[in-house]
Amino acid sequence: MRVALLIASASLHGGIAMPHIAYLAILPEIVMLGGAILLLAVASLVRSALNVTVITVSTLVISLASLAAALWQFFDVQSHGAYTTLDHAVVLDGFSVLVTVLVASAMALTALVGDGYQRREGLAGPEFNVLAMVSATGAMLMGEANDLVIVFLGLEILSIALYVLAAFNRRRAESGEAALKYFLLGGFSSAIFVYGIALTYGATGTTNLTQIADFLAKNVVVSDGLLLAGLTLLLVGFAFKVAAVPFHMWTPDVYQGSPTPITGFMSAVAKAAGFAALIRVFVSSFGVLRVDWQPIIYALAVVTLLVGAVLALIQTDIKRMLAYSSINHAGFVLLGLEAAGALGKVGARGVSSALYYLFAYTFMAIGSFAIVSVLGGRGDAAHEISNYKGLGKRQPFLALAFAVLLLSQAGAPFTTGFWAKLQVVAAAVDANSVPLAVIAMVSAAVAAFFYLRVVLLMYSPKKFVSDQEGDRLENLDASGDAVASTSAREPLWSGSGRQTALVNELNATLLLESSPETIEVPDEREGDVVNVPVLAVVAIGICIAVTVGFGVFPAPLADFAHKASLLFMP
Amino acid sequence: MSLSGGWYLTLAAVLFGIGAVGVLVRRNVLVMFMCIELMLNAANLTFVTFSRMLGDIGGQVVVFFVLVVAAAEVVVGLGIVVAIFRRSTSTVADDLHVLKG
Amino acid sequence: MDQYLPIVLLLGLGLLFAAGSFVGSSLLGPAKKPTGAKIAPYECGIVPDHEPPQRFPVRFYLVAMIFIIFDIEIVFLYPWAVIFREIRVFGFVEVLVFAVVVFVAFLFLISNGALNWGPAKRLSEGMPSRTSDSTILRITATPSPPTSPERAA
Repeated sequence: MRVALLIASASLHGGIAMPHIAYLAILPEIVMLGGAILLLAVASLVRSALNVTVITVSTLVISLASLAAALWQFFDVQSHGAYTTLDHAVVLDGFSVLVTVLVASAMALTALVGDGYQRREGLAGPEFNVLAMVSATGAMLMGEANDLVIVFLGLEILSIALYVLAAFNRRRAESGEAALKYFLLGGFSSAIFVYGIALTYGATGTTNLTQIADFLAKNVVVSDGLLLAGLTLLLVGFAFKVAAVPFHMWTPDVYQGSPTPITGFMSAVAKAAGFAALIRVFVSSFGVLRVDWQPIIYALAVVTLLVGAVLALIQTDIKRMLAYSSINHAGFVLLGLEAAGALGKVGARGVSSALYYLFAYTFMAIGSFAIVSVLGGRGDAAHEISNYKGLGKRQPFLALAFAVLLLSQAGAPFTTGFWAKLQVVAAAVDANSVPLAVIAMVSAAVAAFFYLRVVLLMYSPKKFVSDQEGDRLENLDASGDAVASTSAREPLWSGSGRQTALVNELNATLLLESSPETIEVPDEREGDVVNVPVLAVVAIGICIAVTVGFGVFPAPLADFAHKASLLFMP
Repeated sequence: MSLSGGWYLTLAAVLFGIGAVGVLVRRNVLVMFMCIELMLNAANLTFVTFSRMLGDIGGQVVVFFVLVVAAAEVVVGLGIVVAIFRRSTSTVADDLHVLKG
Repeated sequence: MDQYLPIVLLLGLGLLFAAGSFVGSSLLGPAKKPTGAKIAPYECGIVPDHEPPQRFPVRFYLVAMIFIIFDIEIVFLYPWAVIFREIRVFGFVEVLVFAVVVFVAFLFLISNGALNWGPAKRLSEGMPSRTSDSTILRITATPSPPTSPERAA
């Protein structure tokens, strides 16, 4: 009886309007999350039968399937245009596709790097990869969210999995400490973020980004404290996630303490997803209020650029240095976002330059952290910058790869890093923010110092170092060698055909750089000290191929980023 | 007698403020957790109040999601705390100083 | 929308009050920071000769955490239950997917032995053994002001 009444009343009100679902829009997420859950289920049922190889291979397959789905989305968007689905909560446009491609590739690369890491540290089980895939799903969701609630859910799916991953190596005290710091500050920032959503909801009556934009376009808002407070809190929440100064305090500690492959994943994916959502929320729905938020972004960009570059100079730990360098990079992306606040074409250029920067940074960061991970040795602890002295002799391939990636981060020509910096600075100049562009270039010059310092250290003979420091380095070297040689189980270059082919290919790629060093494939006699896993070499190779390849031939990627415009560009 | 929405919003704002200051000044990890929960629930209260004031059910649906996310966050946080403090013996955040900064 | 300005003001007041009470207590309160001796089990300076009663096994926390997660998932079933007759097959499939995802988590817990209540297997990396020796070391290792009992003695 009661049920009948309920149905009657429901039909009286016209029932539930079922939202239309275009599954293609969420296909990469479905593949990634479904694959992760399937892998977890299989691993739970037949735990003993799964070894690291099986898990890595299945993770790769899932990530590549997700990447393929994203490419399918790309062609769909090219032919049918952008659209929203799921009651306008999710949007499929060039912007979301690029973020999805970026996240899926980062996931695949992390699986490659993580394989060697898990073997070295003796971490069994599927949790590492499953959590990373769940995290990647959240990042993809943030890229295509068209509703503040979806942004929040994506943010939390991304972050909660990352908290666990940061604590993954329970044998290291630093790992747990990093996770706790990340968790406390991450939880704090998401609470601020939710409160920002609540205030925005109160001021506009909706959480949908399109409807917020409509509301703001139709209603002239005069001195609305509630909306501005909401906007500010949202910005603070985002600034925490993307590590913009002054909300960057957690970054060095967390980057240093987390397992190194996860640090690479974190720096690339969390930053990209955070910036993607930040750009979409601020440009497409708060575009009307640009007069209010542009100055804040301007100020954030200035301090982020300067603090990131200056503090990186004084670091002695390579992971902390890269953490500050990632803060510096965040400043450059903010430069693009500041330009994105401008109207019309200039704004569109700002969006595409920021995305281009994120894309370039993803591969540079994952590649750099992959090398750091390999050189970290068992226990993932040998991260003193002084350990890199003379690396050019000991590990010519890794040293050269690291040099290329660092030079790219510094913005050397013929790398994506150069084009990325050029684009954001050009976008800032177009948006009439010339002082900001000048500050960015100064910061890039300062940043070049600490990148070059590491490069020089890797190729320096001993006389470059002062006596006292030299002694210290000597000791460190000796201990490092001792540890490494006991842990070296298989020779680095065992001469498998695949590896040699890869090295040749890399040499071919790298020679485009016309670097003065002659590249030799080292043989086993040259007592190598670190156990270099093949898959990590593959990952590093891909990162370098992308960084240098798109650096020499920038047109395709620039075109891709150019097509990645927002659906609701004002 | 019914209170106007403004009171609930005020209460939520005060709770949020207390939670935020608590996270910043307290040094016990568990208390910091509780303060984060306080902030999230202040946001929930704001959502429900606005939902009622605007006559829009959407705000109450958001609360479901925030609740679940908060629970997941607490579980992960407690898991990390348990994992860490099986090594050391206190729950004071300042005792963590392996990482400088 | 001016009516909401008081909220922002009160937020500031709330912050000010909370900050003020902490600042006040730190200014007026006696001790600045607990010293190593002060956080020892007995503040009178006596070194305990045996451990205090066993702490709760971690398993209790584990079960509590598992409970929270499964408990809170139920919240999504309420809205579904209200309208499930209207969304028919689609709703059924959706809730099935939801249930499967939760069930896989459950499966994972069981396979990991998180719900085994047998005699606890000794974990390889348990809590560091803490004896009275290590406690003495811990107390004396921390730099303490001259008023601490060790220095006075």
